[in-house]
Amino acid sequence: MFLPGIAAASLESSSTSRTEKRRERIEGASLEGVSVRPLSTEEKSKAFALPKKSEVVQRQRLPVRYHVEDFDVEDRPRRFLEAFAAILKHTNYRLALDHYIRVSAKCARCTVACQVYDATGDPHDIPCYRSELLLSVYRRHFTLSGMLRARILGDPGLTDEKIQEMADSFYNCTACRRCHFECPMGIDHALITHLGRYILSEIGVAPRALVVSTREQLIGATGNTSGIPLPALLDTLEFLTEDIQDQKGIHVPFPVDQEGAEYLFVPAVSDFMMEAETLKGIAAVFKATGDSWTIGSKYFDGINYGLFYSDHVLEHVLRKIRAEAERLKVKKVLIGECGHASRSAKFFYPTYCGGKDALPVVSILEYTHQALKEGRIKLDPKIVTERVTYHDPCNMARPGWIVNQPREVLRAFCADYVEMVPNGRMNICCGGGGGTVSIDEIRPYRTAVGGRLKAEQIRDTKANYCVAPCSNCKKQLRELMEDQGVECEIGGLHDLIYKAIILPKDTPSGDEKQEESAEGSVSLAAGSEDPGNEGGES
Amino acid sequence: MTSWIEFGRGPLFRLCFALMVLGLLRILILTSLGIVEAYQRNPDKIVPWKEIRNKTLAWLLPIGRLWKQRPIYSLFSFLFHASMIVTPLFLASHILLWKNAVGFGWPSLPQELANWLTLLVIVTALGLFFGRVLDPRSRPVSRFQDYLWPLLIATPFVTGYIASNAVIGPRTYQQMMLVHIYAADLIMLMVPFTKIAHCVLMPLSQLVTAVAWKFPAQAGDRVIETLGFADRPTWMPKPRLAAEPAAAVPAKKEGAK
Repeated sequence: MFLPGIAAASLESSSTSRTEKRRERIEGASLEGVSVRPLSTEEKSKAFALPKKSEVVQRQRLPVRYHVEDFDVEDRPRRFLEAFAAILKHTNYRLALDHYIRVSAKCARCTVACQVYDATGDPHDIPCYRSELLLSVYRRHFTLSGMLRARILGDPGLTDEKIQEMADSFYNCTACRRCHFECPMGIDHALITHLGRYILSEIGVAPRALVVSTREQLIGATGNTSGIPLPALLDTLEFLTEDIQDQKGIHVPFPVDQEGAEYLFVPAVSDFMMEAETLKGIAAVFKATGDSWTIGSKYFDGINYGLFYSDHVLEHVLRKIRAEAERLKVKKVLIGECGHASRSAKFFYPTYCGGKDALPVVSILEYTHQALKEGRIKLDPKIVTERVTYHDPCNMARPGWIVNQPREVLRAFCADYVEMVPNGRMNICCGGGGGTVSIDEIRPYRTAVGGRLKAEQIRDTKANYCVAPCSNCKKQLRELMEDQGVECEIGGLHDLIYKAIILPKDTPSGDEKQEESAEGSVSLAAGSEDPGNEGGES
Repeated sequence: MTSWIEFGRGPLFRLCFALMVLGLLRILILTSLGIVEAYQRNPDKIVPWKEIRNKTLAWLLPIGRLWKQRPIYSLFSFLFHASMIVTPLFLASHILLWKNAVGFGWPSLPQELANWLTLLVIVTALGLFFGRVLDPRSRPVSRFQDYLWPLLIATPFVTGYIASNAVIGPRTYQQMMLVHIYAADLIMLMVPFTKIAHCVLMPLSQLVTAVAWKFPAQAGDRVIETLGFADRPTWMPKPRLAAEPAAAVPAKKEGAK
């Protein structure tokens, strides 16, 4: 049927992955592969400028670059310590803190892994220094030796200035967790940063951008971070289906509220507005494989800012996903192209949603890779001719979870695929990690400091297209390319797959199963009824 | 002076040694119990054992990976650790002392090699000290004990080397031995209470980190309950303290005024 020249892409998985692993070992762990222009004074002053009005800073007594909601400023140290104590009481952080204050050797080896320190050269950006801000508070107020020491030396303990320093420092970190690999003592500075942000959020110090989105997601009318109402979502899905029909001539549905489907699809909700190509690619993959999937109308947002600043939020967002999964009786939770959503679901869903009985969490990258490996989707290797490179989202690659899967997919159909150095588990963060990408007012910092190394890395590959399967990375990288003047298009993995995928034709003689899923009450037919129901209820 | 030396390597040594062993055992047991407790506390029992093992072994024997970053510092650090552990444990005269006291011994290093290793410890310890002082990356994170330790560890090696190799009078020899013994006692005494505790805790680090990333279910709810804001978590429309000033806060303000 297809042209004989089109070798339906297949995989030589075992050999590729072995060379891949080896390459990772050789090329990983080096910032020295990339040459970076030092930060000029002008850039520095721009990146670290305070965007807030002086009266706001004065009122809030918090000279940090991100906007914070007004909150009681009286007695901040006391409230910080109360929150710290409460958190220690109910969580496992004490174990880590106790351990870290005992073993921390202050060898400063983490400096070689930190891209923020690499860009600024400021000692305050050394990961170990940042952790020490919180560890010293712990040592002083929560250990016997610290309290004795303070009695003898007359240490006043936690002060307002120190809290401000923490509020500033913890949001300079992109939480990429690269330094963990370089710490001989096994200290995870990102865990400390995570805890520090959590405690700060309990006393009202958290970026307004994150707090407002979370609020909309948890108690707002729309129930998602971007505030997309359900009818708008359904319209978008309908539009996407029509779009695919126009482009590919095939009816590809976006099923909504299909009970008993195998996969509940939860992408970063912003994808519905910004990343149409990615969603079309994902729908096309499902069309080709014929697996049943569904988007939940009651909850469809995978974004979980709790991972960045509050365990409490993290848990409540995951509970919403669980409720939707249970309502629709799905068998698996499928996360879209989004790094932090994938990690928060993969690694925290079992914690908060039933332990051993929790539904398995799958990333769309894993799913597509598996489908390609089994030969259930066919990709045309002649379509994508430009030079393509792959950016590892930290939250997926750092735990060693999704490293080779997307690469194998890309190699299967991209003629000119190149790697960045370093890559894989030791990749360099886009510079917008840890939720900072959602904070628009710190864009100058993100593109000048946070993503400095990444921009050079992409420039060095001379790629025309950078695959970044993560909504946060995409946004950050686009801004980065613009601000740093690099010519490279940023997109998702499924954007390319959508271009190259060979879809089965909708013919009566075709696979019956696919026919059913295309025509049944599955998709938009069911979807378009929903707004009416919603309207009736509200 | 002889009696001081005898005291230092007799009762005081035993005391310091016992304190070191017990102190290290204490933190080892506490950490292990902490790991078990944290593991039981959270419902997620998926622990990446293989990865933890690999990372732990990789840092216990960092021969493959250490050189990629800061190679000189890494070389010094590695040689320092290796020779500093091997030399005192396998020195013929130390083993002899041990054998006389306890009754059993073990094979020793040739004296020539031990001498070279001792010099290596001294050189690398000084290298680490000056590396810390001179490197702008290390200085901002260094505490007093970080500067102290390389010098303190070098002390018994320097004095031991002089005592056993230099041509010196008996008085100087005794002085050297005195410093040698008391410095060693002091080191042992301080081990469990300072960063040197990493000698036993480091193999647990990766496991601790992995377990600490597992959060107990409903911890967030309990935290705000404890703080007294169960009905007003941070995502409520208005910041909770601004909306509901707790009774204590205004009272305190008035008092302050």
